[in-house]
Amino acid sequence: MLDSSPHVAETPAVAEIDALHVTLRRGDQDIHAIRGMSLDIGPGEILGLVGESGSGKSVLAMSMLGLLPGDARTSGRCLVHGDDMLSAPAEVRRRRRRSSLGAVFQDPMTSLNPTMRIGAQVAEAAESDEEALRLLKAVGIPDAHRRMGAFPHELSGGLRQRVMIAMAVAGSPSLVVADEPTTALDVTVQAQVLALLRSLRDQIGCSFLLITHDLGVAARVADRVAVMYAGRLAEMGPTGVVLREAAHPYSLGLLGSRLSLGSSRTEPLATLPGEVPDPTRPPAGCPFAPRCDLVTDRCAQEPVDPVEVAPGHLSACVLPIEQVRGATEKAREKEGAPPAGTSGHPAGSSTQPQGDVAVDVRRVVKTFWVKAGRGRKQRLAALRDISLTVADGESVAIVGESGSGKSTLLRVIAGLEHAGGGEIALGHGVRPQMVFQDAGASLTPWLTVGDLIGERLRRERMSKPQRVERVAAALAQVGLPADVAGVRAAQLSGGQRQRVALARATVVPPKVLLCDEPTSALDVSLASGVINLIGRLRRELGMAVVFVTHDLSVARIVADRIAVMYLGRIVELGDAEDVVHHPRHPYTRALIGAVPDFGADPPALPGDPASPLRPPPGCSFHPRCPIAAEVCADPDLHPRLLGIGHGQVHQVACIRTEVL
Amino acid sequence: MATGSTATPVRSRARPRLLSGGGTTRLSQAAAGLFALTTLIALLAPLIEPYDPLLPVGQPQLAPGEQGFLLGTDSIGRDILSRVLAGWQSSWWAAVIVIASGLLVGGLVGLVAGTFGGIVDNVLMRITDTFLALPAPVIAIAVAATLGPSFAHTLLAVGIVWWPFYARIIRGEIRTLAARPHVEAARLAGAGRIRLGLRHLLPGAVPTAVVTASLDVGSLLLTLAGLSFLGLGQSAPAAELGADTAKNLSFLLQDWWIPVVPGVAVMVMALFGNIAGDGVRNLLGDR
Amino acid sequence: MIQLVSKRLGAMAVIILVLTAVVFALQKASPFDPVHSMLGPSASREAVAQQRHALGLDQPLPSQYWHYLTALLHADLGMSYRTRHPITADLATFLPATAELALFALVLALVLGTALAVATTLRWRGAGVLRFVLVAGASTPAFLLAIGGILIFYQLLGWLPATGRTSFTDAPTGPTGLLTLDGLLAGRPEVTLDAMGHLVLPGLALAIGPAVSIGRVLRSSLVGNRRTDYVRTAMAKGLSEGSVLRKHVVRNSLGPALSMTGLQIGLMFAGVLVIENVFSWPGIGQYTSLSIPVGDFPAIAGVTLLLGAGFVAINTIVDILQAVADPRIDV
Repeated sequence: MLDSSPHVAETPAVAEIDALHVTLRRGDQDIHAIRGMSLDIGPGEILGLVGESGSGKSVLAMSMLGLLPGDARTSGRCLVHGDDMLSAPAEVRRRRRRSSLGAVFQDPMTSLNPTMRIGAQVAEAAESDEEALRLLKAVGIPDAHRRMGAFPHELSGGLRQRVMIAMAVAGSPSLVVADEPTTALDVTVQAQVLALLRSLRDQIGCSFLLITHDLGVAARVADRVAVMYAGRLAEMGPTGVVLREAAHPYSLGLLGSRLSLGSSRTEPLATLPGEVPDPTRPPAGCPFAPRCDLVTDRCAQEPVDPVEVAPGHLSACVLPIEQVRGATEKAREKEGAPPAGTSGHPAGSSTQPQGDVAVDVRRVVKTFWVKAGRGRKQRLAALRDISLTVADGESVAIVGESGSGKSTLLRVIAGLEHAGGGEIALGHGVRPQMVFQDAGASLTPWLTVGDLIGERLRRERMSKPQRVERVAAALAQVGLPADVAGVRAAQLSGGQRQRVALARATVVPPKVLLCDEPTSALDVSLASGVINLIGRLRRELGMAVVFVTHDLSVARIVADRIAVMYLGRIVELGDAEDVVHHPRHPYTRALIGAVPDFGADPPALPGDPASPLRPPPGCSFHPRCPIAAEVCADPDLHPRLLGIGHGQVHQVACIRTEVL
Repeated sequence: MATGSTATPVRSRARPRLLSGGGTTRLSQAAAGLFALTTLIALLAPLIEPYDPLLPVGQPQLAPGEQGFLLGTDSIGRDILSRVLAGWQSSWWAAVIVIASGLLVGGLVGLVAGTFGGIVDNVLMRITDTFLALPAPVIAIAVAATLGPSFAHTLLAVGIVWWPFYARIIRGEIRTLAARPHVEAARLAGAGRIRLGLRHLLPGAVPTAVVTASLDVGSLLLTLAGLSFLGLGQSAPAAELGADTAKNLSFLLQDWWIPVVPGVAVMVMALFGNIAGDGVRNLLGDR
Repeated sequence: MIQLVSKRLGAMAVIILVLTAVVFALQKASPFDPVHSMLGPSASREAVAQQRHALGLDQPLPSQYWHYLTALLHADLGMSYRTRHPITADLATFLPATAELALFALVLALVLGTALAVATTLRWRGAGVLRFVLVAGASTPAFLLAIGGILIFYQLLGWLPATGRTSFTDAPTGPTGLLTLDGLLAGRPEVTLDAMGHLVLPGLALAIGPAVSIGRVLRSSLVGNRRTDYVRTAMAKGLSEGSVLRKHVVRNSLGPALSMTGLQIGLMFAGVLVIENVFSWPGIGQYTSLSIPVGDFPAIAGVTLLLGAGFVAINTIVDILQAVADPRIDV
């Protein structure tokens, strides 16, 4: 993969971006989205463009497609096959899009016309129904002939994204711009889509601009990686080189705070302090300077242009590369001792807490009735016979893809949903507290932070000054100043909101803290800070934690034990390290294989996660299972969690483990 | 999706937009200030009326400006300016009363339906939707015509058909808010149902309710004027803008100002209402 | 599909039943006594009692309502106190004139509304003027539009007639009752042209308010649809602006405009009552205006039922059309 990077060849580039500046107008403010970007994409190359939210990466995609809004102000050039997609007449740009460009966007549900059949939409790009059918087959849509007549809402997310890809590669374009094409998808589906992109590149020979916030995604398929920060290029080079020998402090920070299945569980996660600069008032100098440990006086003065630090490897830093790398090494050594401030150990600790039971879930069943069209209602089995105990002070992660029932389980434990069967016992009879995925939405917008945190103190008799003091203490505990109590959620950043949610949950320390994907909406650099904080609070307040996540590498860090769910059942349960490094259930193995990581590239699990509306009989995983036997599909089969190994702490619900 | 969209309330959009969305805050404030101006005129009307609006005070059919009558006199010599001011006053209070009662009743129904959900929501919204599915102005005319002409009957007739719209809008807003995690977070923080409704749901629906009501003022004024024109307002000799036009239609081709001036006054009020409504919407956010 | 239609028709039946209940309750709440209206104030006590019995007014309310409903099913709306004709016959006489006016105004509203929406969305030249005129028009009471139109186009310019439906005393009266059509059917295009001329002023006065409402909704859904992700996808495919508009934007924008049109018909019905009065249009509006001052409640009730049921029926059809057009709507 790495040696196929053809950008050094003499063949002319497919696309050339030169000194691109884009300023957008929002309300009466100017958003300086891109402030001097230059790069080119060679024929047949996959360029991974990595950046956090607000880095300008999507605006770059729109510039390339010539689809910037009318009020955007631009300078520089954005050439595709010699036509400037910024300044060429609309008709020229349109023809370029028609003949040479394809596009895949993040959300395939909204990116397809809801009232138009799939076949017709693909045919718009493919010119004919026959070609549309061929393309749908080529991108791996099963039963493509029938799917031509379907509407987008009748397809799964993975299939919809395949339809988008079919439209993008129609007419054999020379460049496909893919803007976060896998972000809305489950991990196993993401792995399939990434594999599809690469095989299309090999077949058609088109280039890809793959825009992503996840270094792991770029690492998996890109030939070269470009890292963007605050509208500027931080670093660019061959994928392996950037990942192993990053030259820019921001790339190093991003790599450091990124979780992988190999991250240390005993040390606090590296965090990037501070936040992305305000795009309405970008700094004059290096935009990363305010967050950079190595900042010098020169950094803040004028913008730093990328310079070649090695052949084909660019970095926009004034410091010599040796100094950057040396400083990082030193910082790593220093991290042996726990640093002061808000960071702390990750939530997981290897010591198994031996104590009373904090949460006891016994044979819980939850069924929803959902509208199924034509006035009928359909049964959705969200939880099918779940049993799980969480000890006092223990941290358990529940991992699964969408439709696995993991969030429903959490909501049932929280008391936000009533279990349809079975029992939930809380060791102390105290209501658990919960933090939500979208922290902003979990804070009442018109109430101040102080009101919200104070609401939990209503039951306790205390004077007003006492209450103010308690609120301030809770805020201090999550690393926020006391004056945050006076503001509303809208005035806070994403990371701050999640901290406020944690302060509300812990102002009266609960025995059980429930976390529903609290980091999945945050950028990597902020997520690790929140994970550290949850770990610290858990230890200081002696809380048990139930942490729902789709990300195994997060689960491994935050949890003592991991429960893997598939279609409403727990299929594997055990010590975090055991589950991740010695997975026994074929689904867990596939999930681990699908985690985008550097270097690893196991074959993707076929098929979509089955719908909880129609769970397959027997073991629900059998249609996708590589080791399934006939007996697995037996409707009378109810796979139970059975202990394996010594102590029976590691449990697997599979009747074919002996095959592995 | 499956609820009968026969009853989709779109009345708020049924009105023109005079200020473009991008207007500056100051312009919007000035526009919203027209509500205050209209109220001020209504309050001061008895003081600034030059003559008694009900009594003949000059020669009949004087043109505007003649003998010091700014807007002329009507067919029996009453001062048209004084009658317009008196009509302005009664129209404005009628609109304020209908909107306030509509907000009160509709807001209560919407809040209860939205907060409790389930069967309460179902029953209340079925009733609301049935009302919304009927042509409001026609029903108002039927009610007023049946009860006989009087100010109170007009208010009752319009009030009866006006609240379901607000109930729908406020209930929708409450349901949207109730689906947000902040409500569940508040439940976990120990807030009871009443506290949830009043503290975590209702304040979020207030801007929408205010915007909806503001945008509604213009069309309500026009509806009231239409009723008055049909003779369903106060009985003679009270000064009413719609009725003053209707009763003087026969003078249109000779002394055009007699029927036209009261109609223009309605237009000015409705225009003020629409501009002010746009201003309020721009200030509180387009919903 | 059949289920969808039957469900909507069921809802329509319930709403119309509620409408009849409302009208019946109004009748009961009305201060006018039908017996006195019929017999006059000097009737003897026995005569009044006899008449009350004959009309079933001495029976309990539910049974009166039952009789009322059964009579309705036989198209019996009672007698008008004023004209002394069966109300069904009166309505049949006056309906065609109103239907012609309302249809004309509806078409006008759709045309003007669409023009307003398209012109302002695509920022055509002159869009600003059109928008100003229409929007100011929508703040104007329909009766002022009507008398303003008469002053300008009849008195000042003499272009258009101000009263009635036709200048011909021998205009055809059948078969449809719509003069524009009947003129053509009778082979007299001059009647049709003349009828069109009579329609312009009242039609405009009725149409401007609804036109602005329809235009506003259409415009906001056009603008909203242009910003959707799937339009971005269509642009990225390299489709021409026109075909993106046609295939992706317009189609998905029609739904809200269609519902708005359905709702505006209610306002138009109320407007008809006012406008016919100004133009001496021999339709249901004028019939109602004459009934109101004399307290002819059965007539008012009949008009309310007719217009109400028409409104409900039209909106049911709109609803069904929308469900058919949008694959996402299930029953």
